[in-house]
Amino acid sequence: MNARSATIFAVALLVIAAAAMALAGANPLAGFAALLRGALGGEHQLSETLVQTTALLFPALAVAFAFRAGLFNIGAEGQLIVGGLCAGLIGAALAAPGWIAIPAILCAGTAGGAFWGFIAGALRARFGGNEVIATLMLNIVAALLANYLVSGPLHAPAATGAETAVLPAGSWLPVLLPGTRLTIALLLALALAVFLRYLFARTVFGYGLRAAGDAPAAAARAGIDLRRTALVAMTLSGAIAGLGGATLVAGVLHRFNVALSPGYGFIAIAVALVGALDPLRIVAAAFAFGILQSGSLTMQVLAHVPKDVVSFVEGLAIIGLSAQRLTGTRDA
Amino acid sequence: MTDGASLALEARGIVKRFGSVCAVDGVDLDLVRGEIHALCGENGAGKSTLARIVAGTLAPTSGSVLRTGAVGLVHQHFELVDRLRVWENVVLGREPRRGLRLDETAARERVRMLAASYALDVDPDAIVENLPVGIAQRVEILRELSREPTALVLDEPTAVLAPGEIDALFATLRELAARGAAILVITHKLAEVIAHADRVTVMRAGRVVMRSATAATSLEAIARAMVGGEVPGLAPRSGVAPRPAFAARALSAGGGAHALRSATFEVRGGEIVGIAGVEGNGQSALTDAIAGMLPYEGEMSLGEQPLRGDPAARIAAGVRIIPQDRQREGLVLGWSIVDNVALGDQTRPPLARGWTIDRNAAAALATQIVERFDVRTPSIRTSVASLSGGNQQKVVVGRALAHAPRFVVAYQPTRGIDVGAAALVQSRLIEARNAGTAVLLVSFELDEVLALSDRVLVLYRGAIAGAFERAAFDRARIGALMAGAA
Repeated sequence: MNARSATIFAVALLVIAAAAMALAGANPLAGFAALLRGALGGEHQLSETLVQTTALLFPALAVAFAFRAGLFNIGAEGQLIVGGLCAGLIGAALAAPGWIAIPAILCAGTAGGAFWGFIAGALRARFGGNEVIATLMLNIVAALLANYLVSGPLHAPAATGAETAVLPAGSWLPVLLPGTRLTIALLLALALAVFLRYLFARTVFGYGLRAAGDAPAAAARAGIDLRRTALVAMTLSGAIAGLGGATLVAGVLHRFNVALSPGYGFIAIAVALVGALDPLRIVAAAFAFGILQSGSLTMQVLAHVPKDVVSFVEGLAIIGLSAQRLTGTRDA
Repeated sequence: MTDGASLALEARGIVKRFGSVCAVDGVDLDLVRGEIHALCGENGAGKSTLARIVAGTLAPTSGSVLRTGAVGLVHQHFELVDRLRVWENVVLGREPRRGLRLDETAARERVRMLAASYALDVDPDAIVENLPVGIAQRVEILRELSREPTALVLDEPTAVLAPGEIDALFATLRELAARGAAILVITHKLAEVIAHADRVTVMRAGRVVMRSATAATSLEAIARAMVGGEVPGLAPRSGVAPRPAFAARALSAGGGAHALRSATFEVRGGEIVGIAGVEGNGQSALTDAIAGMLPYEGEMSLGEQPLRGDPAARIAAGVRIIPQDRQREGLVLGWSIVDNVALGDQTRPPLARGWTIDRNAAAALATQIVERFDVRTPSIRTSVASLSGGNQQKVVVGRALAHAPRFVVAYQPTRGIDVGAAALVQSRLIEARNAGTAVLLVSFELDEVLALSDRVLVLYRGAIAGAFERAAFDRARIGALMAGAA
């Protein structure tokens, strides 16, 4: 998407958001003001926005990773859930010092997400199965599997909801700002973004990944194994999303709950595309969407705008950007 | 030559240079209303360049074109919007409007009337991508006719058509001529010229070498004028390595009509072996099998070593393929020249340093290729998508020859590129051969094969039907074997 069409798209979304607020019987200007105040109006608000930014950044990087290899991973949500589930199960069961427990939890989440991505990648590599369908369906499988496990066989006896037991406090991710929920997960996500940018731009692996995504026929003739690339890309994409799920478990909820994600894996598609698949620009896009996520509740309370307006606009952004990507317009 | 009043177009002293190469070198051409005029010549003779100048889509370096009306150009590769309907394609750019809206009824009616008046049987509501090529070509012709041209230029219109469609096309052209249009048909199929054209002009190396009324000449005379008698010269081999660099034994690959069937041959270091054959006789299966892109039976070797494995293994062994479709198989179009020159060699020094791409090495290689191959580009950071076809091909060929390969397969290396780029690509292939590389040239242009090859193998229905040393090239015999003679 070039700068001009991106601007038109952004303005159109703002206008639609304003119209939706007006339709809901609220003053759009007051709505926007409340949204911004709720997201950026103080240390607490800003830290919550950064929590949301972090939660979006992992799956957005996951989506971008697959996109760079020419694969449309709309299963970051499912990979995030499976990653979170694995992290929650290990974390609840493991009584060890933090320096052992935290890496173990993050590894478990990464492995779980990787496995979920691997399934879609293997279907693609082995049978040529469409990864869009596979990842979409695996989202549902992941949600139902998690729901079953934490409601049934793995349900924590003391818990009221569908969730695992609370992690030992020593296994929680260290907090960056005392009194907030902002943890070192943010630093981890930023470091990952920088690393991925390096990976895409400089490494042989990233070069092959981009070639496979941008010109598969030429890449195959250049000795790049397309099947292997699809398998590896989907697996690593899932791993990144799964790591994100683990940071939510170890950093925010301190347990796995079926309501772990309010759709981070889907919003992440819009974040990745707004960020033009460039890891550093995705950081900025994740912050923008983080503002929407964290400000929406304040907006509802102060300006009486239903926070569903934000979900509505985010949904429009996902549809618009995905359609533009899929139809392969020239500047996509 | 003809009555001035009936001239539709008059071109005088047309010269077109691409860099240092003169594609069209001082050509005069008159198109007369009511006549079908054939423009003949080998690939690279300058026909298409002249056609584009005549039609006004390319500016000549010098010379003038006097037109009495619009000139329509029907391209060899149709320029239609596949997803749109026939009528939408025909009116595209000049849509009848009603207010701000497209007047669909009027547009459809206009196209229907136009088709009916020329007896061109086309369903205005058909989607173009569903049409056979012969019908799609009619749509392209209709679109040009809707501009009411006084002259219509068709670039290789019969290349894609079946015999029945060819007859229908010429019937249409005859009808257009009868109504007073001047028709220029570019072709190198001489039987068509004799059967359908009133007048013939033959070009060779950018100049007109023959003008005649068709009735006053013969197929043989036109052919002689086109080829210019002798096979172009190739310096004698600088010493062919005694052992084969590449050898294939009983190589079979692919399926169906285009399969390769048990081909056994070798290519020695320092020689160019040309594969002559009509398209679709196993050439793609042969190149893909060598590239490791297609499963095959039989054996291949490079030097003393068996040649096996996936494309990466073959590239590592020193095999380089110049693919037929440079835009799809050779380049990543959205990438810069720098990024593209590493493609295929991204895992080895000098382009790889450890697990990273050495960007300085890639930039140095890009600069070297741009200079050595005279790639016309503002910068090595320019996206290859913005380069002309010829310059894209120079990047592909330059990359293939960059690392002193042992064996190069050049599949249609000059397809669809201007004469200047083609000449440069050919001379670089000869230089690679002189430096000891084994070169397999697979081309559908017999003249290119004859001009460049030390030996020629004829491929017919996937099998090698004959072999000729350069000293014993027999154009007629090779042509007959290509056509299936025993």
